[in-house]
Order: sequence, then structure tokens, then C-alpha cells
Amino acid sequence: MDLAPTISTQGLARRFGELLAVDGVDLRVSPGQFFGFLGPNGAGKSTTIKMLTGLLAPTSGSIEILGLDLEKNPVGVKRQIGVVPEGMALFGRLTGSEFLNFAGRMYGLDRETAAKRTVELLDFMQLADQPKKLVTDYSHGMQKKLAMAAAVIHGPKVLFLDEPFEGVDAIAAGTLKAMLQRMITRGATIFLTSHVLEIVERLCSHVAIIHQGRLVAQGSLDELRAGVEAQTPAPPGDSRGQNAASIEKLTLEQIFLRTVGGARHADQELSWLG
Amino acid sequence: MTDISELGLTPQRRDQLAAIAWLRWKLFANTLRSTRGALELTSRIFVSFAFAIAGFGGAFGMSIGTYFFISQGKPQLVALLLWPISFFWQFFPIMATAFTNNPDSSDLLRFPLSYGSYFLVRFVYGGFDPATALGSLWCFGILVGVGFAKAALLPWALLVLLAFAAFNLLFMQMIFAWVERWLAQRRTREVMGIMFVLLMLSVQLIGPLAGHFRKQARPGVQRDVQRFVAIAGPVQGILPPGLAADAITQGIYPQWPVAFSSLGLLCAFAVVAGYCLHVRLQAQYRGENLSEVAAASALPKDRSLRLGWNLPGFAAPVAAVFEKEIRYLLRSGPMLLTLIMPIFVLVIFRLGPMNSARHSGVFLTRTPEMAFPAAAAYTLLMLTNLAYNNFGGDAGGIQFFYASPVNFREIVLAKNLTHAGILAVETLVAWIAVGFLYRAPAFDVTIATLAGLLFAAPVNFSAGNLLSLYSPKKLDYSKFGRQRASQMTVLISLGVQLFIVSVGVGAFWLARSYGNFWIATILLLGLAAVSLSAYAMILSRIDRLALDQREVLVAELCRA
Repeated sequence: MDLAPTISTQGLARRFGELLAVDGVDLRVSPGQFFGFLGPNGAGKSTTIKMLTGLLAPTSGSIEILGLDLEKNPVGVKRQIGVVPEGMALFGRLTGSEFLNFAGRMYGLDRETAAKRTVELLDFMQLADQPKKLVTDYSHGMQKKLAMAAAVIHGPKVLFLDEPFEGVDAIAAGTLKAMLQRMITRGATIFLTSHVLEIVERLCSHVAIIHQGRLVAQGSLDELRAGVEAQTPAPPGDSRGQNAASIEKLTLEQIFLRTVGGARHADQELSWLG
Repeated sequence: MTDISELGLTPQRRDQLAAIAWLRWKLFANTLRSTRGALELTSRIFVSFAFAIAGFGGAFGMSIGTYFFISQGKPQLVALLLWPISFFWQFFPIMATAFTNNPDSSDLLRFPLSYGSYFLVRFVYGGFDPATALGSLWCFGILVGVGFAKAALLPWALLVLLAFAAFNLLFMQMIFAWVERWLAQRRTREVMGIMFVLLMLSVQLIGPLAGHFRKQARPGVQRDVQRFVAIAGPVQGILPPGLAADAITQGIYPQWPVAFSSLGLLCAFAVVAGYCLHVRLQAQYRGENLSEVAAASALPKDRSLRLGWNLPGFAAPVAAVFEKEIRYLLRSGPMLLTLIMPIFVLVIFRLGPMNSARHSGVFLTRTPEMAFPAAAAYTLLMLTNLAYNNFGGDAGGIQFFYASPVNFREIVLAKNLTHAGILAVETLVAWIAVGFLYRAPAFDVTIATLAGLLFAAPVNFSAGNLLSLYSPKKLDYSKFGRQRASQMTVLISLGVQLFIVSVGVGAFWLARSYGNFWIATILLLGLAAVSLSAYAMILSRIDRLALDQREVLVAELCRA
């Protein structure tokens, strides 16, 4: 049986002046999926995630999250989702504890629950050691963990993460991944963008690739692999060639490069370099 | 080793400097691409016009003053003109620029820029400061005055004034570079800022206190003042403004050996200032990092439950935003000091020379019953910084507001409630202060003033809410002085304040003419009903407006 999608978009587009940053994207993310959204720089990833979370208005198209139209019922949608946007959306002159308490109450938790979850989250994220420290004085990794804590304090059904592991050390990344995996096992849906393809390959069950504003691939990793092997020859940069690909499993990086055609002949270019 | 002697311009260095100039130009030109940028430019032209009036008007005054002193045979009094110029040159950048977001030239250090180029770039950046522009214009005014009074002295005066300007420019940059180092840490930044504001307040109190003591006419105090002048006179003579005045004076008599020695000393001051600047810039050039480092903490883990605030009658998000706003303000030394300014102003008026017998015609002395309305109006004025840029201090947090399941009208309402709360507390404090300093405000005046606030506050909040959405500007609550506000907001808020003050003054004038302040109360309550309705109408539309403006707000407030 095909479950109703958690996230679905139809003809989603966004224009900035002459530039069509996102061009008719039809996304479909099912419940419980750990969904990776990939694309080269400037492909439209952040624009798409901003539109999905209500931070940016689409030029055309529709967005449904958990069966609710984002345009018609933004508050209803936002109550059920958590967001860690590119800029992390923190209030620098609060302490970590004050910020989480504030976030909990903004997401509709009562005062006691917000306070209890604040303590638990600070402890889990290993941020409880410096209670008086203002968020503005946190390191980048600490800010990332705090932003993540604020995004999950209300137990969202869907979590949107824009580059959640950027600038985060291995220990903090481990903590974050453990938390995300736990959310998935409990039925939440996670939508993340990342440049680190190894992380996406390890965490995500499904992937979509956007290139020049258009969705060029979408599905499970195996589906993408099969599609790429059937349609495109191995690029010259891929040492194993087309025959080898059928023997060994393609990595996500190879799928990505073949899909967006990013491999370049560095030996023939920039001859003046080094 | 990097050396200040690397200032010579090689072709490569010239190219780099040209590239930096081009970069600054493009940064400016690119801001004009948007409609908002063009509006900002228009507003900035108006503000620049005010600066130009101050610059050219001041220069004219300096010319007249210099001409008068020299033609009266008292050229040494030119020092009286050079000292204010020097003070302005040093203090204005700290108030208006040093604590604001200047282009950070240290960003250029990633490029293969020689130390000489880096020094030059810093020096030239300083040249674009309004204080330098005004200071230079005023020096030019003095030069013109010298030219009219004694044309033959023009080349010498030009040399002296160039040395004086160079000293001021280098000294200003030297102070800024050193203060910048101390301001790098948030804590020291706030301590420095509080010290600075207290210094400013102390300076403002010198006049009133002097006047206060003069009124008592104690011979002992007068003797002390004369003794101070006798000591300060020679001391100022060996400092740069005094030296510049002396160099010009000795050129007139002419006593060239003394004139050259004064100019030499002035140049020595400039060299010392330049060297101190060089020491700081060299440290920066070598990669000194002034960013705050997270200190290791040995504090135990915080596991205590802390409940958020509760505002009876308001939804939880309103209470949460209200709590957040109050915490922000309590952590902002600059904002707190701004908010106590109305009380200081009352003290200054009460103690000041304007309260003396000589100034018996001064408004507040003649009509002490108007002290409370005046203090309340000033209190409202102090809120302009906050109310007209509601989201300025939120920075990246604005994204949180947009991502959270809360209507924007609740967020805006919470912010307005915070500002209304501050207004209420300040008005109460002003009422008590007026009671102590003048006399307890009469009941009818108090009610009329409160009616005036009931009219004025919603007008300010309505205009402020709209401008907060349409012309936001990122603010750092930990920084002191005038952060560069949106020029459009400055102009429009000025217009709104003028309107409010005119209406208030008109109502009170009418009431005083009839000897009945209840007339003002009735008039202002009627206007309050209109302004409250307008406020409610705008608030009900804030959600749609905030959605329409989300890109502008996020782009402005989330920028690095």
C-alpha cells in the first residue's frame, strides 16, 4: 500500500529576478524516510528547503506537509515540523537553557514540559557544562547542537536540516547522528541537505538530486544506482569504467557525479597550476 | 620584518590599492541595485546634507573667529578654535563609527598585501570618516581666516594645519586600533562602553555643576577656578592644538625659531601617534586573532528546572517573547544607559545654568508644571531606537520566528508590550524625579500627560512596527554609540516624532491658555482612541506584511 507522502511538492518554482533558482520541482517523501537532498553549489537546495519550511515564498507551485497545505495553513504545518536552517536561527544574547526554554514555549509546550526537556536536551547534547554562557559565545559546533536541540524540543514529526554537519567535529557529529537515527526508528521523517556525500550515503534511505533548479533524480539509493547504470556511461574520471560498475556497487559520489555531470579533466585544464 | 618604511608605491602595490578602491566602490554601488538601497541612498543624501551644513557652517565660523583673533592682535586665541576641532575629531568617531560596523580591513590580510599597503589602506579608510571630513573642513576654515587676516602667512599656516590634521587623523586611528583590541572581548567591551558613557555623562554634568557652584558665588571656588586656568593654560600650550596655535602665532610676530620648534613638536606628536598605530597594525598584520576564546568552565552541570515567565491574559508565545526581550535588554549596558537618560536630562535642566536667575525666562523654570510632560515626551523619544527596529537585535533569530508556529502579530505584540512596559516604568520614575527636582506634578497635568502617552505610544508602535518590517537594520545590543541605523527609518521616525510633539504641544498650549488641563486630556484621549484603532488595524495585518517582507528581513538580519 502506498502511504500518503509526508512531504510533497507540485511544480515548485522560485524565481529571483531573471534567475529561475528552482524550476518545477515535484518532491515526494514518504513517512519514516531519512531523505537526503543533494545538488552542486547553487543548484537550488537551500532555496527549496527554505520554501518547504516557510522561510521563502514560492513563485509558483504547491507544498503539502503531513497533508496540510503550507500556504493555507502555515501555523498548522510549523507546529509539526522542526527546522535547522542555514543560519541556525539562534538568539545570541540568551543562554542555551533560556533559548531552549523559549523555543519550547514558542512550539506550544507548557512551562513545565519546556523546562524539563530543556534540561534533558542540554544534557544529551553535552551543553549543560556552561549554564551562564551566552549563545553568541558558543563555538560553531555548540551552536549547531543547540539549534538541533531547539528544532526537536517539541518532538516534531518532520525535521528539516540544512547542512547539519557543517563545521561540526566528529564527536558532536556522532551525537547528532545518534539522535537522528533514534527519531527515524520512532517514525519521524528527516529531510536533510549536505555536501558530505559519505554522510548522506550512510544515513539516508532515499535521495533526490537537484541540478540547475530541476530535480534530476529521486528514489532509494538502489533505484538511483540502477537508473544511473542503465542510462549513463561511466565518466572518463571514473577509473573502473562502465563494465566495472556492473560488478561493484556504485557509490553515492559516483551516482551524483554521473547524474550532474560534474567530473572534469583536471589534467587538461589549468596547465599553469603547480 | 615588516616595517613602516614600506610605504613606497611600487606598481604592484598601486594595483592592489586600486583593486581595494574598486572593491569599496562596487560594494557601495551594489547596494543601490535594490529599491531599498536607492531609498537608503536618498535618505543618506539628506543626512549628508546636515553634515555638509555643519561642515561648511563650522568652517565659516572658524574663518570669522580666526580673522577676528588675528586682526585683534590675539592670534594665540586660535587655540580656542583648534581644541574643539581636536576634541570632535577624537570623540565623534568613537560615538559614531568606532563602535559600529566599519568595513574590516583585516579581511584583506588573506591576500598578499604588503604591510605598507595594509597601513595605507587603514589610514585611507580613516580618511572617509565624517569626523575627518568635518575636522578638515574646519581646519580649512581657519586657513581661510588666516589668509584674510595675514595673507603672507598662508603657506606657513597651511603647513602647520596639515601637521595638525595629520596628527588628529593618526591619533584617532591609534585610539581606535587600541580600543578595538580591548573591545574584542564582550565583557571588556561592555565595561569600556559603560566607562565611556559615564565619562560622557560626566562631561555633560560639568556645565550644570559649574553653574550650580557659580550661583553660590563662593570666593574659594572662584579662586580654585582661576588656579585651574593658570595651570591649564601652559599645559594646553604643549599639546597639539596649543602647539599648532603657537606655531601660527609665532609666525605672525615673527619668531621663526620658536615657530619651527612648535611645528617640530607638533610633528613629533604625529610621529608618536603614527608609531603607536603602527605597533597595533603590525600585530594585526602578523595574524593576531582578537576573537573571543571559549574559556574552560569548571561549573557543575546545570540540571535545575527553570520555568519560563507567565503573562496573565496573554498566550504562551507572547510571554516567551516578552521574557526574551527583557533578558536581551537587561544584558545590554548601552540600552539600559539609554533608558536612564531622561532622568539625567532632568537633573541637568534642574542643576544647569538654564535654571539660574540669568535664565529666568527658560521654559521649565518658568513653568515647572510642564516638567513632567516634557520628561514623558523625552522618555518616549528614547524608545525610538527600540520601537522602530523591533527585530534589529534578533539577527539570525528572525529565522526562528518565521519557522515557529506562531503568528507574527503575537511576536510583534510581545515586543510592543515590552516597550510599553519600559515606557510605563520610565514614566513612573520620571514622575518621581520631577517631584524631587521641581515639584510633584499636579493631578490634572499627570492625567493629561498619560492621555498624551496613550495617544503617542500607539502612533509610535504602529509606525515602528511597519518600519521594522520594511526597513530593518541589524543591531548589536552589546555595542555602544550610534550604530548606523537605517537612514529611511531615521527620517520617517523624525517626522513622526515631530508630528507627535506638535500635537502634544498644541493640546497643552490650548489647555494652558484656558487654564484648564482637562481640555488637553479630552483632546488627547480622543486622539488616543484614533491611534489605538490604527494600531489594532495594523497589528491585525502584520502577519501578511511579515510574510511579504520575510526575504528582506532574513537577508538583512542574517547577514554576517
